[in-house]
Amino acid sequence: MPGIVSRLRRAVGGDSDTTADTTGTDARPDGGTVTEGTRRERRGPIERVGQSLDDRFGGDFVESLPFWLPPFLLMGLFVYGAIVWNLLISLTDYQGFAQAPDYGNLDFEMYVRAATDSGVIDATINTFILIVAFTSATLVIGLALAILIDRGIRFENTFRTIYLLPMSLSFVVTAQFWLWMYNFNNGVVNIALGTFGIGPIDWIGNSSIVLWAVIFALVWQFSGYAMVVYLAGLRAIPSEHYEAAKVDGASTLRMYRRVIIPQLKGATISASVVLMVFALKAFDFLYSLVSNFRPPNGADILATKMVREAYSNQNWAFGAAIAIILFAMALSIIGPYLVYQYRRGNL
Amino acid sequence: MTDTDGETSVATDADSGGTASARTDGGTVTGRTGLRARLARVDAGRVGLYVTLLALVAFYMTPIETGLVTSFKTTQAVTETAPFALPGEGFTLEKWQTAFDVLIRGVGNSVLYAVPATIISALFGSLAAYGLTTTNLSGRYKVAVIAMFVAGIFIPYQAVLIPLTQFWSNVVPLDQLLGFVWALGINDDYVGIVELIVTHVAYGIPICTILFRSYYKNMSEEMIESARLDGASLRRVYRRIVLPLSTPMFAVVLIYQFTQIWNDLLFTLVLVATESSAAAPVVLILAGLGTSQEGTDFALRMAGAFLAALPTLAVYIAFGDEFAEGVAT
Amino acid sequence: MADLELDSLTKIFHDGDDEIVAVDDVSVSIDDGEFVVVVGPSGCGKSTTLRMVAGLESVTSGTIRLDGESIEDVKSQNRDIAMVFQSYALYPHMTVRGNMAFGLEESTDLPDDEIQRRVEETAELLDIPELLDRKPTELSGGQQQRVALGRAIVRDPAVFLMDEPLSNLDAKLRAQMRTELQRLQEDLGVTTVYVTHDQTEAMTMGDRIAILDGGRLQQVATPLKCYHEPANRFVAGFLGEPAMNFFDVEHRDGTLVAAAFEYPISDDVAADLGSTRELVLGIRPEAVEIGGSVTDEHHFGMTVDVVEPMGDENTVYLTFGDEATETNTLVATTGGMRQISAGQSVVAHIPEDAIHVFDRTSGRALHNRRVKSEDVAEIGPE
Repeated sequence: MPGIVSRLRRAVGGDSDTTADTTGTDARPDGGTVTEGTRRERRGPIERVGQSLDDRFGGDFVESLPFWLPPFLLMGLFVYGAIVWNLLISLTDYQGFAQAPDYGNLDFEMYVRAATDSGVIDATINTFILIVAFTSATLVIGLALAILIDRGIRFENTFRTIYLLPMSLSFVVTAQFWLWMYNFNNGVVNIALGTFGIGPIDWIGNSSIVLWAVIFALVWQFSGYAMVVYLAGLRAIPSEHYEAAKVDGASTLRMYRRVIIPQLKGATISASVVLMVFALKAFDFLYSLVSNFRPPNGADILATKMVREAYSNQNWAFGAAIAIILFAMALSIIGPYLVYQYRRGNL
Repeated sequence: MTDTDGETSVATDADSGGTASARTDGGTVTGRTGLRARLARVDAGRVGLYVTLLALVAFYMTPIETGLVTSFKTTQAVTETAPFALPGEGFTLEKWQTAFDVLIRGVGNSVLYAVPATIISALFGSLAAYGLTTTNLSGRYKVAVIAMFVAGIFIPYQAVLIPLTQFWSNVVPLDQLLGFVWALGINDDYVGIVELIVTHVAYGIPICTILFRSYYKNMSEEMIESARLDGASLRRVYRRIVLPLSTPMFAVVLIYQFTQIWNDLLFTLVLVATESSAAAPVVLILAGLGTSQEGTDFALRMAGAFLAALPTLAVYIAFGDEFAEGVAT
Repeated sequence: MADLELDSLTKIFHDGDDEIVAVDDVSVSIDDGEFVVVVGPSGCGKSTTLRMVAGLESVTSGTIRLDGESIEDVKSQNRDIAMVFQSYALYPHMTVRGNMAFGLEESTDLPDDEIQRRVEETAELLDIPELLDRKPTELSGGQQQRVALGRAIVRDPAVFLMDEPLSNLDAKLRAQMRTELQRLQEDLGVTTVYVTHDQTEAMTMGDRIAILDGGRLQQVATPLKCYHEPANRFVAGFLGEPAMNFFDVEHRDGTLVAAAFEYPISDDVAADLGSTRELVLGIRPEAVEIGGSVTDEHHFGMTVDVVEPMGDENTVYLTFGDEATETNTLVATTGGMRQISAGQSVVAHIPEDAIHVFDRTSGRALHNRRVKSEDVAEIGPE
């Protein structure tokens, strides 16, 4: 152990020293992306003076390592290590009951297969529909709820607690509730529509409706979340803005549209990123609807398709390829979000 | 909704205070008739607002209420009464009894991994956030590390699932490593519980770190600097200043994490696999509950759903504010 | 107790590819027990300088020596320095006693009863023993300020650093604490560096003041020397309220020619100016005498543009012509009892022994007013 620690120290000393050295000359303007390799190469010559340089330029670096490095490594191994590994597996032909994949023969066969598999294509389309419809509906309803709650009502906390309640429930639990709500003969939804002379409709069985039924249930579960985020955003707007708009003679509707809602951009962005990623992960809900890896016809999404291919059909490499597609979609959402947060100095 | 627009000048003035001040103003300026007309409009608007709010309560509560009343019905009553009506004649506790018998070992198993995983991930999150927030580090490396934490929150777990299975079966075969434990007579299915703890801690660290970081960022920088100047090392500053002041955030993070871990199905599905396992968590058993018989026993499913949701519901009702803060951050 | 030496201290911040020089080659020697006030406009680098001394900011280049030993490599927790922050930075979860004991507990091996004895002694000194068992949130701003001070004093450090410690107090309390702080510092005799943007605090509290602008040290001297013999135009303009009058002038054969007037100078003054022709003439408002008649070329017939009565004195804006422009306005102060009103014609005297002349390009003072040593006590700053 002490050996490792002192090596780490030296490595860190070298590292932080390089930072200070190069910042002066601006030799490496995008130093943030300098890789491990480069840093390690520079460790050697600096080893001798490592300790004193570390004290000089490292600031709290060495002292802060015990705090953040273990959690970072654990997280890094399970998140980023696993993603790289998954990428590797997706390039093999791993399937069946073998213990481990054969890494000898790597190719993109699984991606070609995914691109031509109608199941994957359908699942991709469904995933897009789910992301877009679910996210936008949840945001709109959440905003409406937040505005209603923010109008100085009594029992504000009670209302908020009730609207947010579904969010505290497991997908497994809410799936049971909605399965019963959507029941063909005796479900609340069909009974309610029946009073208007509509239906009954087979919500789960009809493959062109089921996805929308799922989206509706998910909106029910998550609109409380959007409400809470928007509420925090509304509370951050100084009351002078409301008063100024009123003094300027704006109607309530115009006040919200012109003055208040534009200021909720930050809240909207954070909430949509979280919701979109939730939508990508909606596996739990769909699995629980049927207690099976095969969701109702017409509601298959990439998340369920991936798990089914891997854990039900033992098509591990194929599943890994689908997982990478899913990851790429998530990355296309998270990437811009990170850049946005970085620009605003929130990282 | 349409009539809320007209009198907003008063209605948005906030709660009771706003209405009261509007009343005195109105009295002096426009006289009694004006006041009365104005009050009438105010009330109409407020009534509309509350009706909307109550309708929404009905919308959000219906699935839950329906589930609750159904769980107390006999199989016959389920088909014969309206789903949201009270059970009346067909009242029974039998379904709860059955659900309890089936699920109770699952509840025990869930507690076994959810509690330690929650506590450990919150602690790791606090440590990491402290190490990355209140310390003096070179800016760009710090940003890179933090960006990795933030991105870690949003990774779809499907992208790590197969390596995770590989990891626990090939790289760290806990099943064999813990052989001495199974020798003590403990069912070796419980290896799944250990795996779940480590897994949930690892994937919980990013969100815990970011939650704590948002809290520590708002902590007075001068106070931390003052403690350093008072001669305290980073470790001592954490122990004596930051940790004691983190209590409110620990409440938020613990509640959020507990809910997340308790509710998660995916990891239990791939790490424990079958509901018949001795170590099956409650969500896994619930997912298959009431389907094995012919047709679906909805009353049993609802009773089971409530039983499984009970711990998170209790936490939510007791600490609603902390939960709201956790999800809003 | 120690002397503190800043030697060519420099701090460069990086903002992307931009370099921001926050502190530029600052050198000051502070004697044991001395009270030095670092003053300057916001963003001048005074806080950064202080934070480097505290070890809260790394040093880009240069040296900080405490009793002859360089300390810039020493972590702040080991520097034996106590700091009073603008926000007081009290630990909210600890009592006043806990706050004051914290530093001794962390930085020394003293037994508990000795720590308690010192805490109580210090509380006695600051007149706050009854607050010892309260939490910071239960204290008023002034009380919190005292606790912050007590927390620094109890440690008996080598150096006190104070970062605008009075700026969160109301005006009356601030004046009171100013005096008390000075008294305490004199009694304790601890080397103190005090940062402020408030020139009243700078003038009244420091043994010496160090004036910073744009990260560069402009002058280090006693307050009165800085006031009466400023090293450059910045110092002259920064100290004093209302600020010194400045006129761009050109030196032509013993006469300073401004846009609005001409001012003949004696050979003594002209000798100070050397061959520099592009100059700035400076005169403090209180040095301008109003009244009398035009007796020589240093008297000017002027029009009163605006009068701001302050009670004890009037600030009078005079113009050389009828219209007020940037180049022809002269600010003067007169006794509060004098009756002067706008539009009135008056004679203003700019005495030659009170003028300052600066090099227009470098800003350096070429000639400062003459201060007879016996006058200083009388002239004094307001």
